[in-house]
Amino acid sequence: MGGTSGADSIQPVSLRRGMGLRRILILIILGAGLWAFIQLNLTPADLIPNPGGLQVAGKFFSRALSPALTYEAEFVPANTQPLLWKAIQAAGTTVVFAAAAMSLALVAGLILGFLASTAWWVGDPAGGRSATVVFLRRSVAPIIYGSTRVLITLMRSVHELLWAVLLLAAFGLSHLSAAVAIAIPFGGTLAKIFAEMIDEAPRDVAEAYRGSGASSTQVYLLGLLPRALPDMIAYAFYRFECALRSSAILGFFGYPTLGFFIAASFENLHYGEVWTYLYTLFFLVTVVDWWSGALRKRFAV
Amino acid sequence: MFHLNGASVTYGSTVALDSINLQIRPGEAVGFVGLSGAGKTTLFRLLNGMVRPTRGTVQVNGNSLASLSLEELRQVRAQIGFVHQDLSLIPNLRVLHNVLAGRLGRLSLWQGARTLLFPPRSCVNEVYEILQRVGIPEKLYQRTDRLSGGQRQRVAIARALFQRPKGLLADEPVSSVDPARARSAVSLLTQISREEGLTLCVSLHNLELAREFFPRLVGLRKGRIAFDRATEEVKEEEFQSLYDLGAANGGGTSDREE
Repeated sequence: MGGTSGADSIQPVSLRRGMGLRRILILIILGAGLWAFIQLNLTPADLIPNPGGLQVAGKFFSRALSPALTYEAEFVPANTQPLLWKAIQAAGTTVVFAAAAMSLALVAGLILGFLASTAWWVGDPAGGRSATVVFLRRSVAPIIYGSTRVLITLMRSVHELLWAVLLLAAFGLSHLSAAVAIAIPFGGTLAKIFAEMIDEAPRDVAEAYRGSGASSTQVYLLGLLPRALPDMIAYAFYRFECALRSSAILGFFGYPTLGFFIAASFENLHYGEVWTYLYTLFFLVTVVDWWSGALRKRFAV
Repeated sequence: MFHLNGASVTYGSTVALDSINLQIRPGEAVGFVGLSGAGKTTLFRLLNGMVRPTRGTVQVNGNSLASLSLEELRQVRAQIGFVHQDLSLIPNLRVLHNVLAGRLGRLSLWQGARTLLFPPRSCVNEVYEILQRVGIPEKLYQRTDRLSGGQRQRVAIARALFQRPKGLLADEPVSSVDPARARSAVSLLTQISREEGLTLCVSLHNLELAREFFPRLVGLRKGRIAFDRATEEVKEEEFQSLYDLGAANGGGTSDREE
């Protein structure tokens, strides 16, 4: 802020107008933030926790360095599996749900991403002179990618937890509804980003292949897509990490993923167990991150 | 091989090429000189069937471009190899696959995909032989982005040769490498074209190279042909006239730096 007004005083006269607009915009954004605070009745006093809450938080965080290796409950039924084995199983279920969701999301993302991109409408520079082609390009193409974009936005604008609530109400606690709940918003996000990556990929190779007589389909599939593919793979891996977290959280609805056990242990005040499950999740995300990093290095441009 | 008669290309109100008359016989080697923006790239795209003339006619191997369907145009393109200024290679693919892609124009979608994914023995051998000719056989299975600029350029030439072309176009092929490499690249292009009987057109910023390697030179200036004759008959003033636009800050010399 100080920098803005300082710079303003030495701006040439011709730039004054632009700076004025920018200042108005900053004021509007600040005003909106202030209004939100007032609406929510946020005061500095809210930052001071009540003593009870502080105690719980203290107990919880004090276990961070000593996660439980065995159950904290006083009575454990004889045939119960060991805690660590249970954590591993929950991690496995979390991965399975995330993988199922990502597979669906990838299919949706690739198809919708293709339809929402504009690169496939770029015709041959020496062709496309016939009236039908021109008509199709001017009328049908905008309808297809326009409506696809609307669909993608609808998918993305509802969070996976909300989709889960809706699908659970409709289909009950089925495995498919969990996978689909994650797959819908993830498919939308993948489609949006894939479309952008395809449209922004360098066209040099595509042009070269076209110049050597390749068909438009060859040009698109073998000349343009490979240029976008490294970025698309890296992004898909990042989304897989996000899917792991979402899959864990779906446990709150009763699916046997990490979230289910985290919630159960938390309710029983078994904070050591909570940390065991949290570290398992942390480990999962780290493994995926490391794996995607290794692959990215292989595909790197 | 190429026959242009009053060929013009306009983009909107911009005239890229203005009434070009040009005839290039099969097996000829022609150098094209002129400033950036003089129309060299558009002219090459015209010879390659990537652009159709707005006015006039362009014949490639006796086919008039204006009357061809897109399918026939693709067959004409497949007969002409093109070495691009930016090389247009896929960096994260192996040299083998980048070269194999040169033949896509002669293959169906399915055949092309199969050749790239599971290259048949015969194709691999052929790529290896071509790489031998351009001097980098040991790079067959190397990733393309691990190669030096000069080696990558040879990959681009190899890809154009694997296309089994009748003509070879190279648009500023040496603007991105150092002078010694530039010389050997132009030398390679002319030598291979001679041995294979290919028609060769190369556009060059570098006048010395153009004079050394090409018996015939075409000078382009503002979309028109300034001169078109045997290299030894081109006068020094004519070369200078190409660079008139840049005369204020030293004209010709600045172009030789590239």
